[in-house]
Amino acid sequence: MQRLIISHETRMIARGGAWWTILALLVVTLGFAAWTGARSVERQLKGAADAAAYEDGARARMRADTEAYAAKVAATGGTYEFAMVRHGPGQGPPQGTNAGAVGAETAVFAALPPTGLAAFAIGQSDVQLNYLPVSMGTTLDTMKKLEVENPLNLQTGPLDIAFVVIFLLPIFILAMTYDLLSSEKERGTLAMIMAHPISLRELLASKVAARAMILLGVVTVFGLLALLGAGTGLDHPETWLRFAGWLAVTVLYSIFWFALAVLVNVYGRSSATNGTVLAGAWLVLVVVIPTLVSLLATTIYPAPSRMDLIVAAREAQTANEKSMQQTLERFYSEHMDYVPVGDQRAMDFLTLSQANAASIEKALLPLYERFREQTARQEELVQRFQFASPAIMTQLALNEISGTSTGRYQDFLEQVSRFRVEWNAYFAERFLKREPLRPGDYDTFPQFRYQPESARAAWLRVLPSVLGLLLAALALFSLPMLALRRFQVAAR
Amino acid sequence: MVITIARKEFAEIMRDGRFRWTAALMVLLLLTSILAGWQRFAAYTAVQSTAQGESNSQWLKQGDKNPHSAAHYGNYAFKPLGPLAFFDSGITSYAGTTVFMEAHKQNFAIGRPASDTSAVARFGELNGAMILQVLLPLLIIFLGFTAFAGEREDGTLRQVLSMGVSRTSLLWGKATGLAAAVLLVVVPCLVAGGIFLAATGLQTVGGGVTLRVALLAVAYLLYAGIFLFLTLAVSAWARTARTALMIMVGFWAFTAFIMPKAATEISRVEYPVPAFGTFMAEMKAHQTRGIDGVSPYAKLGRYQAELFRKYQVSRVEDLPVYWTALRMQKLEEIDQPVFDLHYGQVRDLYLAQQRLQDRLGILAPTLPLRSVSMGLAGTSLIEHNKFTTDAEDFRHNMVFKMNDYLSKAAVDLNGVNDATNYMVANEEVFAIVPPYRYEPPALAATMAVQAGNFGILGAWLIAAVALAWQATRRMSMERS
Repeated sequence: MQRLIISHETRMIARGGAWWTILALLVVTLGFAAWTGARSVERQLKGAADAAAYEDGARARMRADTEAYAAKVAATGGTYEFAMVRHGPGQGPPQGTNAGAVGAETAVFAALPPTGLAAFAIGQSDVQLNYLPVSMGTTLDTMKKLEVENPLNLQTGPLDIAFVVIFLLPIFILAMTYDLLSSEKERGTLAMIMAHPISLRELLASKVAARAMILLGVVTVFGLLALLGAGTGLDHPETWLRFAGWLAVTVLYSIFWFALAVLVNVYGRSSATNGTVLAGAWLVLVVVIPTLVSLLATTIYPAPSRMDLIVAAREAQTANEKSMQQTLERFYSEHMDYVPVGDQRAMDFLTLSQANAASIEKALLPLYERFREQTARQEELVQRFQFASPAIMTQLALNEISGTSTGRYQDFLEQVSRFRVEWNAYFAERFLKREPLRPGDYDTFPQFRYQPESARAAWLRVLPSVLGLLLAALALFSLPMLALRRFQVAAR
Repeated sequence: MVITIARKEFAEIMRDGRFRWTAALMVLLLLTSILAGWQRFAAYTAVQSTAQGESNSQWLKQGDKNPHSAAHYGNYAFKPLGPLAFFDSGITSYAGTTVFMEAHKQNFAIGRPASDTSAVARFGELNGAMILQVLLPLLIIFLGFTAFAGEREDGTLRQVLSMGVSRTSLLWGKATGLAAAVLLVVVPCLVAGGIFLAATGLQTVGGGVTLRVALLAVAYLLYAGIFLFLTLAVSAWARTARTALMIMVGFWAFTAFIMPKAATEISRVEYPVPAFGTFMAEMKAHQTRGIDGVSPYAKLGRYQAELFRKYQVSRVEDLPVYWTALRMQKLEEIDQPVFDLHYGQVRDLYLAQQRLQDRLGILAPTLPLRSVSMGLAGTSLIEHNKFTTDAEDFRHNMVFKMNDYLSKAAVDLNGVNDATNYMVANEEVFAIVPPYRYEPPALAATMAVQAGNFGILGAWLIAAVALAWQATRRMSMERS
């Protein structure tokens, strides 16, 4: 009997015209989303590669100059000297011998590599810059670099697979299920079916199963196609693990919507009322609650203004410049090893900018700390309030699975900031000791190597969202099963 | 007759549970968002005006130094918001708020408020405009989808028509009744919004706040009218009320959610913007190469030779002009066209993307409305582009004035024409650069850009009315 109903439902669905329209729309958007997601990842990778190539090229030219200079020195028997910083070509040691010039005028781009599933959820990766220049400047200098992107597009947000899953999939599910029982009741066929040896619960289960099978098929097949088209690193097991995670979250989220539709149907109003209630529920859960949670987070824990940060940085800079001499002396008194021999007033540009950067950095530290604290609090609040909406849980989970989450980016920023210290130390020490850079030194420059997070850290972040989705779906499914006892089969 | 029908429709909506729930939700959200928007606007404006004031005074009080060093120290432009930004924050969170204006470099705007928010912010910002653009149509659909289809299912449609009521007066009566119910929800909120607007003091913005509000009202009325008549058309045309609901909710999701994002992606495909790294590498390489293939060093050499010829000298030290300053300014002039080309290209691409998205408004009325709303609120891309180009003009002028002063003053200083002639200027000199102040574009300029969007909205409304008229004329009275 159940099998009969499932096959009957499947055939009925296959004949409905509106269905195919929505299904076609879903599949077309999914395909389009996969394509644009892949484009966006490509653009990011190209940007990172171009930036790195430019800087590496600049460094290679400096190295070539030092090689030529070293050869000249070896030929003429002079001493290999350190270049005072000059802009523009000329005689004497090239700028490439000056660690301060190399460290400040070329940068290393520290890049956060996209995961194999990055195209599935763009997340915040279009607002952040996933490749950051590290040179002898301040953290502020690094943070000033932003992705070149039309703010209008950023505001609208990308049409990625996560959007299709979170916004459109529920509409698809609700269109399939909003009149699950009510239409049969309105047509008067429900009472007839109930005359057969089948319980209402079995009937409902069969109807849902038929629809869920169709949906699951669509999601798996087109998800797989999206992965083959837009995913990267398909030969890597991690990508497939992430895809399994994506599939699991998508299915859990779908189950939630099926359950909600069943619940509304069991309370037995007309199809039109069920449709209104479900459309309203979609609106509240997918649009209203997430924007309210976002509003709550930014109102309770507003990040300090970047404008204030800039003014504060300026104040530190100005105060520093006004007392240049004292700053320099203080700097040298703190770094006695660096006082140049026979060069009492080494007031060159780089030493100063070095001292300047150090004091701006020091002045801004408490402000950065405040930014970090506030965004961490916002994140905490969102983590807590995510349970108010399956859409938030799904978004957070999909961002995590695609490697575009705030948590992963924060971890990257910490690695960048550690690397900055390493880079500064390497060049500042050699520069302040007036130690000429030799061609061979170019092989010992600090390199940024991204350390992937432990799988455990990412799983720990994604766990609450997944558990929340699971619980919400289970709770919604058990409710209608209880309410079914009082369900009226006949229309009147 | 129209009045009677309208009164009946209105009374019926009032008694319906759907109305109470949706209206309560709308009012609650509108008031919350207006309050939150106002608070955010007030906080932003306070920070912005303080920051601009401080930055302007930091420029003057930067300490005595060489004028060219002062140009390096530079100034910051902080983008002010007009009072209507509390209603429609537009692209404010995603566009930079600050431009650093310094010697030798043109910069992008930095400081996007969105970069300091959680990922959940990408679901959208709750503000008055968002609610009217997204929720108002849904309210109209919920209240109106049964207008004809419901009566047909109840069998009352046949009765009414048999009484001799014309289909046209039925359409207009239902439209009036529905519109009255919708206005009952929206008008009190708009009054509250007006009070908040008055509380902002109505300063700044490109003038004409009252006119802007009036035009905004017209745009949103057009938009509401489109959904009203489309809902009535579909209700008359669809066989059942639930089909009508499905079609309209589908259309709503399409125009409010799918199309804006799809239009974004389409415009990206049509007008791709280079990534930051690509942009930077290409511009810097172009700068080194020279815009005409002649390197800046070669150009400087030629310029020097020219000066030598002009003054009949052979050494820099013998020039009667201050070479260091002239060289700085020359470099600035050599770089300027490269900057203008690359930054200008990006700005043009943004605008081209916006225009394409507006044109796609023939498929979704939310697109042109969004542009009109942001434009009138002064939070659109057009304003942002003007802000960044103005900042560039200011920078250009600032650097020129400093280099120019240096080139003239340093020569007379002590007659030593080399690097040891380190001229130090003070606050009085820095004051020849006027304090930075942003003038937003005038209303007329905004309207010139938005006229096309008003046209698209108008065309949509005419089409919706025609559709509703056709559908009611042809509608069947029978339940199928």
